[in-house]
This record gives sequence, C-alpha cells and structure tokens, in this order.
Amino acid sequence: MKKIFHLQCLLLMTLLFACKPERLAVPSEPIKDIKGSWQVIKATRNGTDLTARFDFSKFRIHFSDSTYTIDSLLPFIVSKNGKWAFDDPQYPFYLSFTIPDSTAHSPLLYPVTGGRRNIIITFSPGCTANSYQYTLQKVN
Amino acid sequence: MKKIKKYFKRHPSYWWKIPGIILLLVIAGCSITIDSIDQPASVNGGDILPVTLHVTINTNDVRTAKFMVAVLVPKVWKVAQNGVITFTSDLTSGDQPMTVIPAGTSAPNGNGLDWPTYLTQKIGNGGNLLNEYEWVAFYSNSAYSVVGNKTYTVTVSIRMKTSVDNLQFKLGYCVANSSDGLSDPQYYSSFFPGCFRVNGEGDLIDFCNPQLAVVDPRTSLDNDIVTVSFDGGVAPTALDNASEVYLCVKGYLTSGDSLTVCSQTADTKMEPLGLNRWRKDIWPRGLFHLNEEQHLVRLAYYFTDATGTIKVGYGGGADPFPYTFKCQ
Repeated sequence: MKKIFHLQCLLLMTLLFACKPERLAVPSEPIKDIKGSWQVIKATRNGTDLTARFDFSKFRIHFSDSTYTIDSLLPFIVSKNGKWAFDDPQYPFYLSFTIPDSTAHSPLLYPVTGGRRNIIITFSPGCTANSYQYTLQKVN
Repeated sequence: MKKIKKYFKRHPSYWWKIPGIILLLVIAGCSITIDSIDQPASVNGGDILPVTLHVTINTNDVRTAKFMVAVLVPKVWKVAQNGVITFTSDLTSGDQPMTVIPAGTSAPNGNGLDWPTYLTQKIGNGGNLLNEYEWVAFYSNSAYSVVGNKTYTVTVSIRMKTSVDNLQFKLGYCVANSSDGLSDPQYYSSFFPGCFRVNGEGDLIDFCNPQLAVVDPRTSLDNDIVTVSFDGGVAPTALDNASEVYLCVKGYLTSGDSLTVCSQTADTKMEPLGLNRWRKDIWPRGLFHLNEEQHLVRLAYYFTDATGTIKVGYGGGADPFPYTFKCQ
C-alpha cells in the first residue's frame, strides 16, 4: 500500500513538473552575408540588356568582412579597392563602397533566383543620366 | 412602319441586333480629336517653343475626369521641369493650369504602366531614330464634369523651353482623360506635325533622318559603356560588300594628347546585325587602357574592313565621325 502511495506521489510530481510554459524564441533576421567572390550575370544600361554584348566575364568583386577588392575593372560604382558596408546588416537597402576620397551608395536588392542569392546594384559610372544595373552572383 | 414590321417578320433574327447597334452608336459617339496645331517650324536654341493644340471633345455620357496632355520631346529639354501647359475651353473660364503627372503614377486601364511607358507602347515614338526621347504627361489640376451628347472645344497652350542643342526632332502630342486613358482610340488623340528644327550649338543631333553612325547614349563620359553603330543601309559606302567591319578610333585626352586604336582585332570587331548594320559596345577607358589621371574629351572614329585599307568616315567620306564626351 505504501509502495502504491509512493508511486502515486511520483506520478503526480511527474505530471506537475512535466508541463512548463513553452518559451518561443523570437526569430531574428540573420545578418546578410556577402563574403566571397561575385561575378556579373546580368548588366543593363538605361534598361538595355548588355550582358551578351559586352564581356563582363573577367570582372570579379571579392567581399571580405569589411573590405572589397576588384579584379578586371569595368564601369562600376567605384574604380578602386576599399571598404563596403550595408546601411542595415539585417535589412539592407543600400550598399556603400568607400574609397579614400569618397563614398558611393547603391540601392540594393538581394533576391534569391533559381535557388541562388543575387545582389542587384544600381549606379552611374559616367553621366548621372546613364543608369546601370548589375546583377551579381557568387562564384562557386 | 408597316414595311419595317413586314421586314422583321420576314427576318425575325434581326430584332436582337437593334439594341446592339444603338449601344454601338452611343459608345462610338464619344470622341476626342486634335483638329489642328499651331507650331513654328523652328526656334533658336534656348528659346521658348510655343505650341497651341485645337481640340474637340464630343461626349455621350456624364463623366468627371481630369484632362491629360502629353508631349513627345527630346529628353535634353527636361520638359517636366521646363514645360508649362494650360488650356481654355467652353466648359471653363480662364486659363486652367496643368501639372506634370508624378513618375510612377499608373495610367488608367494601363495594366499598371505609368503614363510615359504606356504612351510609348500605345502611341509610339513618332519615328524618332535616336532613343533620347520621352513622353511627358500633364494632368489638369482639377477634374471636370461633362454632360452627355455635347461638343466642347478646348485650346491647349504649351510652352517648352528648348535646350541650346542643335537638333531635329519629330515632336508628338496626345490628349486623353484620367478616366479612360488610352483604352480605346476614341478616348484619345495624337498628332505628329513632322520634323522640327532647333538652331542651336554644336553638331546636329538628327532624330529625323537615318544616320550612317550613331553613338548611344548620346551623352556619356569615358567611363560609360557606349554603343557605336554603323548602318550601311542608309547610303552606299565603300563597306557595302565587307564581310567584317572594324572600328578605328582616335581618343583625344584632356592633356591635349591623343591615342589611337585602329588595329583589326576582337577589341574593335563590330557585331553584324544584318542588312549591313553593325554594332560595337566599348568602354573607352578600357579600350585605350587609360590610367587614373587620363580622361578623354572626344573621339574621332572610322569604320574599316578586315584589312584596314577601306575606311568610311562622316557622310561616307574621308573625315572621321566626331563624338564629344559630355553630360546633359
């Protein structure tokens, strides 16, 4: 009888302490990571697609934690290596490139296309009336 | 009347068509037309271009809408900033002001397109051969109510400040309303009075006539990608039978020095587009291997055959085609 009583107590204790309020972790937006080498997969000038008409194949931009380097320079938002930053690392709308003399800002789109993350930047390397849009994709 | 009754007794299936015909007449009764335009044949660069449109509107319905006037103009005029449009009519008293429709405003029944894009799609570019044109659309500041089965006359006054550029352009005009947009030809009217001349400064920018050579964008700096096109179909040239065409170009630097790229290589080989038309996209800074301190002021270029012995220049002659790097 005593054994049954103890068993009942144990069961009751288990029931009492088995349930506790579930604490849901608030999901946080990850910091966007663009570290690595990126290539141009699409380029437009004033809306005209230049991708197949101009050789963008050798251009590379390598992003590290806060700096970037460019290989085989083409018309781009900057023409020198320097530092980069998002306006907001979690919800970036702008990507800035800082070289010793100045900082250039580009509106940023960060879509996933075909299962791969792209970066779309818009800038004017020459006349401001001429707008270029490059879609960059990470090099495997 | 008896005859009509007899007719429909003989053709009973025709009865249903009567309401349809009446409906068609009512719908077709609404129209807007540009009857005539007062526009000078030319102005001097930098002058104000005054234009008057004489418009007739026939209504079949009670409607309240804003009046829309759009102009097809060279981008370099910046009409959105420099244009003023007003109108008078027998519905209103005094000059009625109009304002540029803000960018991104969807046109009615335009499938989400804004007015400039919708006008380009629906009305076209008036036959201008360079793509540095734009439609600029204005709405009346107020909406107006019209009654059915009435004719209104509207006189639109357009004043646009031209740029100092020396150019020929095919201006275009369109009128419509904010309710129907360009959904049906009866609801809008367009007018293209022909080639208009601005006697300005610099090389002639000819939107009206086909050119042997064109550089796009028309305004650029040496750090832009520029497209050089050769259209051998415009006039007979020494390259009519060439199977390959190359660009031969001399770049003039701000320092006063010049550099030449005139070898027949992949860097200068033009892409064939058919019908004796050719195209090459170049990045001038890359083509001339410029260092940071070097900047181009202008180009002088020819088109050559694969051997480089046949050279075609301006007007098919021996002088090079000129191109000056500048922004608007």
